[in-house]
Order: sequence, then structure tokens, then C-alpha cells
Amino acid sequence: MADKKKRKASTKKKKSDKIEVVFFKSDTCAFCPRAEEVIRETLENFGSEVFELKVVNVSENPDAAEEFGIFALPTVMIGGISVTGIPEPDLLMKMVLGAKVMTKKKDGSK
Amino acid sequence: MNDLIIERVKTGIPGLDELIEGGFPRGDTILIAGKAGTGKSILATQFIYKGATEYNEPGVLVTLEEPPHLIKRNMLRFGMDLEKLEKEKKIAIVDLSPSKEVTPVTIGEYPSFDLSGLEAIILNHVKKIKATRVVLDTLSIMAYKFKSRDILREEFFKLAATITRAGCTLLLTSEIPAQEQGLGVFDIEAFLASGVIVLYNEKISDTSRSRSIEVLKLRGSKHSSRIHSMRITDEGIRVWPGEISPGV
Ligand SMILES: Nc1ncnc2c1ncn2[C@@H]1O[C@H](COP(=O)(O)OP(=O)(O)OP(=O)(O)O)[C@@H](O)[C@H]1O
Ligand SMILES: [Mg+2]
Repeated sequence: MADKKKRKASTKKKKSDKIEVVFFKSDTCAFCPRAEEVIRETLENFGSEVFELKVVNVSENPDAAEEFGIFALPTVMIGGISVTGIPEPDLLMKMVLGAKVMTKKKDGSK
Repeated sequence: MNDLIIERVKTGIPGLDELIEGGFPRGDTILIAGKAGTGKSILATQFIYKGATEYNEPGVLVTLEEPPHLIKRNMLRFGMDLEKLEKEKKIAIVDLSPSKEVTPVTIGEYPSFDLSGLEAIILNHVKKIKATRVVLDTLSIMAYKFKSRDILREEFFKLAATITRAGCTLLLTSEIPAQEQGLGVFDIEAFLASGVIVLYNEKISDTSRSRSIEVLKLRGSKHSSRIHSMRITDEGIRVWPGEISPGV
């Protein structure tokens, strides 16, 4: 169990040190376009080396929504925490910074 | 088909269909309400099981509370093998229970969302197995998960409409909080549904309780207006249509 976890973490690290930001949307969701704009604008401030934005269209990929238990859209997920609805940039910033600290900590403890 | 005749969906729960003119009206939304431990989940799961095994109606069981392995284990005690039906693609169990590790922790909710995620998840399975029955157990979890009640109300109406429009009869469960008089934590449950069934497990003496079931309303049906005895037997839930409950 612990072994598996370690391996998983290290492959992830090799691949990239970027913070993964996952944005869930759907074809019918009225608030999603605005939410995506806010997220892109906010993330731009960090530069694209810091994060990686992954957009999941739940209409096309319902299995992903099921896997992560995402009922409500839009939802943005960063490192195990999420926000639903059109997010405020401040909160997004905090989430990204929080995720950055977390990855730093992990590196430092190695 | 004759529009004047309401097609009935047999629940297959012994004794229950007799109380409701043979079954639920096809394509309706039915609410199963009751306090904790009254048998809502068992009844709803039995509806899915019977549909798949006796009426050639595949069903989707969406669980928002109990993890699937526990549901399977509990139902197996009644001789109902959900695992087998799942493998045969006669039922689908959709795990949206909080026990899933990957589900992110929500730290913020803005009142600008809809439930199109949940809708897509459910319809995906409905299509895959050509389901005509859907159970959502339990609605009450949604009230804890989301703060924006107005959105939830509206979105749940939409969701129920979408699922029934897809050709399914929809069963929702809702927990009545211990000291509550109403039908659930949502205060919309009764409006949402065209049929309401209430389960009881009332104390009848210091040392015993008695289970019973009441059909509170059912669209276009001359249903029983009495409270009937119900038991959880080795074969699951059973209703005694001729027996009026002593408890309530
Ligand atoms: N094998 C069994 N034989 C007899 N009774 C049982 C059996 N399994 C469960 N029960 C009874 O059924 C109850 C649980 O039923 P169920 O899970 O359907 O309740 P519920 O109304 O969904 O409760 P909750 O609101 O907590 O979800 C138990 O409290 C127990 O009394
Ligand atoms: Mg239950």
C-alpha cells in the first residue's frame, strides 16, 4: 500500500512539477463559460509553468464526473479541494498558492 | 396506448402493489420518506432488484450515502444478489457515496451552479443498460452537501423531469429528521413527487416497535388511505395489505 503510493508520487513528479487544475463543465451549464474565463484569467497571473489546466466536459465524459463525485457544475478542483459555482479570483489564488505550498513541502521532506 | 389508462410499474414488493392499484404510474417520481432505519433504502433497492429479475426492467441505483459494497452485503442477506445483476448489466450501481477517496473537499460554493454533472452521470448509465427504473438514495444528502436551497429545488425539479422524460420511473428517498413533522429536510420533497410513501417504525410499547407503511398520495390512483403493517423479513420488505397497523 505505502509502496504503491510512493511510486505513484514519484512518477507524478518526474512528469511535471505543475499544479493540476481541473475544471469540470458541461454543454448545458449556463454558468460554465464565465467560470472558465475567471479561472483562465486568474491562472494567467501565475504563468503557465506553475499550473496545468485540464478542462473536463462532463457531457462528453460523464465517467470523469462520476469518478470524482462531481454533481454540480461549474466546479474547479485543485489538489483535493474544490469550489462550485463561478469562483472569486481571490479564492482561486488561495487554492493555487495552497497547492504550491503543499508540493513544496512534499519535495522538502524527500 | 390508451391515454386514459395509466400504465403501472409493479414494485414487486409483496403486498405493496395491492395498495396502489397494481404499481406506480409509469414515468412518475415517487418519494419514499421515513425516519432513520425505517427501511427506505431496502425498499428502494428491492424495487430495482425486482424490476431487473421479474419485470425485465433494468434499473440504476444511485447511492449518495451507503457505499455499494455495504448495500450488496445487506441485500444478499435477503437473497438478492446485486453483484450478479450488475455483471449481467441488468442493473447499475452508481457510487456517489462520501466514502470515495478521490472526491475533493468543497471549500466554497457560489450560487451559480446547476446539477448537470449529476444529470450526466445518471443518464449515462440509463442509456448504457437501457434502464426504466432509477433510484436516488438519498435526496437528503444533497441538502447537506449544498447551501443554496433555491438552486437545489429548481435543479431537482429539472433533474427529475429529465430522468422521467428519458422513460424511467424515479424513486427518491428522503430522511425525515428525528423530531420532524414534515417529510424531509428539503421541504420540497412532497411537491417534487407525484407519489409519496411514508415508512414508520413506531414504538408500540416500552419494549417493542412496529413497522408500517402509508401511501400518502399517488397521482391518478385510488390508493389505500390506511396505514398498513410492514415487516422486514428474510426475503426483504413485505407489506400486509389486510392488516392495519396497530402502531400509528
Ligand atoms: N436482514 C435483516 N432482517 C431484518 N431487518 C433488517 C435486516 N437488515 C436490516 N434490517 C432493518 O432495516 C433497517 C435498515 O433499513 P434501511 O437501511 O432501508 O433504512 P433507511 O430508512 O434507509 O435508514 P437511513 O435513513 O439510516 O438510511 C435496520 O435498522 C434494521 O432494523
Ligand atoms: Mg438509507
